[in-house]
Amino acid sequence: MTTDGLRRGVRWLHWYLREVSGESAYDRHVAHLRSGHPGASVPTRKEFERWRMDQRDSRPEARCC
Amino acid sequence: MATTPELDESGRASGAGRRRDPRTIAIWTVVALVGAVSWAVLALSRGENVNAVWMIFAALGSYAIAYRFYARWIAHRVLGVDDRRATPAERLNNDIDYQPTDRRVLFGHHFAAIAGAGPLVGPVLAAQMGYLPGTIWIIAGVIFAGAVQDMVTLFFSMRRDGKSLGQMAREEIGPVGGVAALVAVFSIMIILLAVLALVVVGALARSPWGTFSIALTIPIAFFMGFYLRSLRPGRVLETSLIGIGLLILAIIAGGWVQDSSWAAAFTLSPKTLVICLVVYGFFASVLPVWMLLAPRDYLSTFLKIGTIILLAIGILVTAPVLQNDAITKFASRGDGPVFAGSLFPFVFITIACGALSGFHSLIASGTTPKMIQKESQIRMIGYGAMLTESFVAVMAMIAASIIDPGLYYAMNAPAGTVGATAQSAAAAVTNLGFTITPETLQAAATAVEEETLVARTGGAPTLAVGMSEIFSGFLGGASVKAFWYHFAIMFEALFILTTVDAGTRVGRFMLQDTIGNVWKPMRRVSWPPGVWAASAIVVGLWGYFLWTGVTNPLGGINQLFPLFGIANQLLAAVALTVCTTLLIKSGRAKYAWVTGVPLAWDAVVTLTASWQKVFSGDPKLGFFSQRERYANALDQGDVLAPAKSLDDMQAIVTNSTVDGILAAFFAILIVIVIADAIRVWYQVLSRRRPVELHEAPYEESRIVAGSGLLPTAEERARGQLVGAGAGRPGTSGDRMPPDDRPGEEPAGRP
Repeated sequence: MTTDGLRRGVRWLHWYLREVSGESAYDRHVAHLRSGHPGASVPTRKEFERWRMDQRDSRPEARCC
Repeated sequence: MATTPELDESGRASGAGRRRDPRTIAIWTVVALVGAVSWAVLALSRGENVNAVWMIFAALGSYAIAYRFYARWIAHRVLGVDDRRATPAERLNNDIDYQPTDRRVLFGHHFAAIAGAGPLVGPVLAAQMGYLPGTIWIIAGVIFAGAVQDMVTLFFSMRRDGKSLGQMAREEIGPVGGVAALVAVFSIMIILLAVLALVVVGALARSPWGTFSIALTIPIAFFMGFYLRSLRPGRVLETSLIGIGLLILAIIAGGWVQDSSWAAAFTLSPKTLVICLVVYGFFASVLPVWMLLAPRDYLSTFLKIGTIILLAIGILVTAPVLQNDAITKFASRGDGPVFAGSLFPFVFITIACGALSGFHSLIASGTTPKMIQKESQIRMIGYGAMLTESFVAVMAMIAASIIDPGLYYAMNAPAGTVGATAQSAAAAVTNLGFTITPETLQAAATAVEEETLVARTGGAPTLAVGMSEIFSGFLGGASVKAFWYHFAIMFEALFILTTVDAGTRVGRFMLQDTIGNVWKPMRRVSWPPGVWAASAIVVGLWGYFLWTGVTNPLGGINQLFPLFGIANQLLAAVALTVCTTLLIKSGRAKYAWVTGVPLAWDAVVTLTASWQKVFSGDPKLGFFSQRERYANALDQGDVLAPAKSLDDMQAIVTNSTVDGILAAFFAILIVIVIADAIRVWYQVLSRRRPVELHEAPYEESRIVAGSGLLPTAEERARGQLVGAGAGRPGTSGDRMPPDDRPGEEPAGRP
């Protein structure tokens, strides 16, 4: 594999892990607010992550066996 | 599997006039041949040693063909997925639960949610029948039943804005079906949690190494939780990396503790472990998610995926030889020590996850349908993720089948059969018709630095021995066997505990909701007394079964696992019934067999199994004849082996009664759901009842996204048109994978 291909692979993996783990949720939320609701106040990362985590408290997700 | 369908503009598969590329035909012919040859080797070898790699090839070849042809046919012809139709994620996008998510990311989420300990434990137990019956069922079952159920449920839920299985059963079948579905979900949850917790107890009992490492995961999770909450909010990858480092350290430290004076403090009896697990389960389910559940979830997901990939590589690199018979004598005689009953129906009950798992229908009608970008992606996510789980089950079957059969039975037969020492176990194994010397047995335990491997039931220790065999074969050699054994134990226990925590929460919410119908305050999800009471009830219920499992002289896994299988397949029957009903109601009756045949098979298997568990005259198999045998002896004041006291006798009588009633109850539920659905089918087909579908209305989709694992050239070309508009800073362009920039957001969203 060429180094270029390798670099692309690593970049893809990083993108994938950020998405899958939810690390990119904040960026997405900010983008969502900016594009959809101009003028809405943008929460700080801490506020957003707390809010997002607390959401999970009221929506339990089953894990299978 | 990487081939994606060619789509015409409408997003449907183009018709029969399509020209086929000769290269594609050649590739698929080779795939078919490899699969067929591998199956032939597996099925026809007798008395020779078969390499496990054949199993891998047979599985992968079959999956590829099923995914490419059958799944695609179901998605496009039977279900009629329509990529012009906006999915709930697009229409209802609220940036919380409804959210269009890249298909590969959603695949990861969905897979992590459906695959847990089930596909690892079931095949290990079913290896008692030989490797062949289980493998055939895992592969054929997933192709024709399990993956179909997952994909079709996902489709119908997606068309209904992500409604749950229970809601769909109520709306499409009727209140009776709805209530039965709800009861089924709750009961399976309880049995599932009890059995999974029992697996953990089996793995940790009297093992200071395992107990210490697992106990350490609690402070590790707390640390990660606080780190994510306060120090570095949202930095999940960094936190998980630290967590996994600490986890590895915890496994290594377990070895030190085992050799130190602390060992005694972490050498716990099964009963003590039950109390620990119940207390843990209660607190874990009432604490806020960020403290314990979320960090554990990150850890267990990364560990799970990593280990599965490592295991696949390990099998291919070490190419181990199967020691197990293709079909053992227990298959027809039905007197195996691991679980009673013959091949039919019990292989199909024991292996649920990995072949057909009703529980998945809860996930497929939960969060996943609310996140799909495009209808055609149900094939990759619903069908594809289930194929992947099935592959995990095949690897578990391999891990259980490469170890010496004598060791397998010494580990998996209940203590009542094999006794407590290497000598008694060796004698018992000889009685079963296999050979192992006490020295070999002790050497196997010493190699993984466990005091004993005798009667380490539950599947996890067996899998761990098999995995340590494979891993040490290509990473580190024999000297690190003990590390890999405890790594495997950690891997299983970690996500079982996550399941226990998450499952207790789900059960609590169901209970709160149900009681809330009668008494309003219970419904408030943040009212502490309600939360604590509901959690205590749920934990108490599974804790009860866990306790009986641990104290039952007849062996807990032996008694409870069939119930768990029956409950899981009951839920599959509910899901397949809902799917079949919807196919019939939506005018697709000629395709109703797609879910109807798996339903019929599932019903036959589950009802036969429940029938035998309830009515069999063999006290090893039938709960009530077992009860009668021990109750009669108890009346005489006799103590029958393996019971050692009158209290043991009483325990057996009580457990057999409860288990027997449950088996009968599950069977009755299945009959009710199916009968109620057949009534609806009859009414619809004979036009006695106007068809009312609860499908969400059509809305044009503006998202552009591919449908398969890799984007096709065509999709890429279409994607780039949109990508041009979506590439501005701060929009979706930022978070698209570098190679593949079809915007997941509509270019012109308000």
